[in-house]
Amino acid sequence: MSSNGQPKRRAILAFVLNRSGVLNKISMLIRRKMYNVETLTVCATLQPGISRLTLTLREANDAKALQVVKQLEKMTEVISARELDIDQSFWREVAIVKFEGDNNLLAALDQRFPMEILDRRERGLCVAQIAGTSKRIDDFIAAIGKEKVVEVARSGFTAMEM
Amino acid sequence: MTTGKELVLKALEDLGVRYVFGYTGGAIMPIFDEMERRKCFTFIMARHEQGAAFMAQGISRASQSTADPQIGVCMATSGPGAMNLVTAVADAMMDSVPLLAVTGQVATGVIATDAFQESDVVGVMMPLTKQTYMPLAADRIEETLHEAIYVAMTGRGGPVLVDIPKDVQTQAVSDGYRFDPSAFQPELPGFYYSPAPEREAVRRAVALINQSERPIVLCGHGVVSRSAGEDLRIFAEKARIPIGFTLHGLSALPVDHPLSLGMVGMHGTVEANRALLHADLILSLGMRFDDRVTGKLETFAPNAKVIHVEIDPSEIDKNVSTMVALNADVGEVLRLLARDPQITSQPRRAWFESIEAFRRETAAEVEEEIAAGVGREGRLLMKYIVRRLSEVTAGKDIIVSDVGQHQMILARFYNFQTPNSWFTSGGAGTMGCALPMAVGVKLARPGERVWAVMGDGGFQMNLQELGTVMEYQIDIKIVLLNNGYLGMVRQWQTLFYDGRYAGTPLKSPDFGLIAQAYGIPYRRVTDTDEVGEALRQAVDHPGAFMLELRCDPSEIVLPMVPAGGGIADMIVSKKQIGESK
Ligand SMILES: Cc1ncc(C[n+]2csc(CCOP(=O)(O)OP(=O)(O)O)c2C)c(N)n1
Ligand SMILES: [Mg+2]
Repeated sequence: MSSNGQPKRRAILAFVLNRSGVLNKISMLIRRKMYNVETLTVCATLQPGISRLTLTLREANDAKALQVVKQLEKMTEVISARELDIDQSFWREVAIVKFEGDNNLLAALDQRFPMEILDRRERGLCVAQIAGTSKRIDDFIAAIGKEKVVEVARSGFTAMEM
Repeated sequence: MTTGKELVLKALEDLGVRYVFGYTGGAIMPIFDEMERRKCFTFIMARHEQGAAFMAQGISRASQSTADPQIGVCMATSGPGAMNLVTAVADAMMDSVPLLAVTGQVATGVIATDAFQESDVVGVMMPLTKQTYMPLAADRIEETLHEAIYVAMTGRGGPVLVDIPKDVQTQAVSDGYRFDPSAFQPELPGFYYSPAPEREAVRRAVALINQSERPIVLCGHGVVSRSAGEDLRIFAEKARIPIGFTLHGLSALPVDHPLSLGMVGMHGTVEANRALLHADLILSLGMRFDDRVTGKLETFAPNAKVIHVEIDPSEIDKNVSTMVALNADVGEVLRLLARDPQITSQPRRAWFESIEAFRRETAAEVEEEIAAGVGREGRLLMKYIVRRLSEVTAGKDIIVSDVGQHQMILARFYNFQTPNSWFTSGGAGTMGCALPMAVGVKLARPGERVWAVMGDGGFQMNLQELGTVMEYQIDIKIVLLNNGYLGMVRQWQTLFYDGRYAGTPLKSPDFGLIAQAYGIPYRRVTDTDEVGEALRQAVDHPGAFMLELRCDPSEIVLPMVPAGGGIADMIVSKKQIGESK
């Protein structure tokens, strides 16, 4: 049942009732069962009272990943939970990056990345926003250069299946 | 104007609650006050909130197999009162026991100010319960309690907590408030419960059963709580499959049934554990492959395919991979299996011959010990006492056990005859559970005799509940197996810590004087000859009676699968551990 090697990255999508304590319970579950969770995002859905929750984690073992789904489903507030098919789903995050950039750098970034400059101050301090796959965001940060980056805020993944 | 506290009691009344166990204090006073006015149920005051919660457990555990299943209800005040409930609530969670804990909370205006006796009860209880609630308006109280009890009793049972701020208890409902208990449906779209098994899975299970040469049934708690022992018997007799029991599966059907192998697991019988090792098919019914059952998972039942019938889907494939998973009510599945004409009857001669050989492996050694009646230090052996208890009661009485050697020896040697007649803390193994649990059990099944069997350690963890026994004249027979040690831990020290007895010897008070202080007749027993007669004296006495039996500290509970080991590593005989220790 288990595949070997590098823990596989997985995304679990759950729809939950938007009641007090739900997020608390889910984070307690993650700690208690020692799941290797990387990101957790929550947003409203079109249906009032129901939230959409995306959780990504690293887990080599399929059975253990299924356990996460089952443990989530066990909560009375969780309407449904399932693991997304990695090849059939989009995973995206948003990053806001503060960095020191001159005109040359900004022009070069603008060529390569679909970013948006949110603010720019004297002495070249910029705040830019970029959305996309985590690789794109990694590449963006690498292209700025580590020594120039002041601060990065990443949203964690939200995901959707085709 | 109707207030919150009235609705608390109305909801409990509508839900058929008959007993409330509890302990008062500032934040729960309004509800208690209302209870006194209404007198709608019997209130039992425990001497410690943990006792109240175990008493409530006793109600749920003992009544689940009756025509009128009750949920045990306990109440406590905020802060320390609620914190004293925690152990028994966690215990209910581990043992899938429905339980409602109602706690008072400080008023909403001062929540989060570290007010006097404020604790984050919901936060503490969240990982230990099926669900927690804090209604913030009187209008929410009835629906909250109805949903809470629905959640506690639906599917796999478990505890729920309702924490009610004091001002909400006294708040009036809004104009036009209406609640119809009979029409109420909790709105829980994701809380599904699938009692009916899938036909296709049943068909595959039946095929595996018919093909198997060395099958074994693992009978778990679910069979007992669904009162499915009789269907299990019909099915097993027809298919000719031997039955091993988990700790909580015991008493599902008479343990001396020819197909019974007794308990499996760490302190299971030789025959049950050997059968597991050699089985080619395990049909596990309403159980969860706890590590005390499986031993080391990598070596558990290496040759067996597994059919797992379990109401909680998260238990399926959790510890042991299944060939056929039946996420369903085990009672429904057994009803089908007992009547399924596709089940063929097979002699399985070779399999039963091996099982007979397993049975004989240590039988003589055990019988010899029981015949001697005393251990190396000349004091009573617990297995001798339990054998006598089985004789005196004909195995028909209810046994409530504490945690330790005496518990495992009861599980091994008591001759269970009555369905759902064995109550103990299994998953959590909480010492001190037995005395208060027996109080609840006796109230739930007043027509049956109830024995509370305890060690000297566990008894002293909740002995204050003798006060409850005294005040409410609870007719339980208290059997204290006093070996002067925390015996089970001592056993591990004997076997795995070179006999260094760290923190296990204990001095005890004069238990006779304690019994006397509570007005409970008492008898101390030291001789084998006296045991049967003393047990009969307890039976004949109308009302609570306490027996203290002086037991031999050197007794070792065998067989034993050493912690971390596999079932194949089971120690079966005293000869294997060297009698010299
Ligand atoms: C509350 C609690 N504390 C500690 C333990 C660990 N423990 C398990 S069995 C046991 C010894 C029990 O001694 P006693 O009640 O005298 O029973 P005996 O084993 O001697 O029959 C201990 C300390 C426990 N199970 N529960
Ligand atoms: Mg003891």
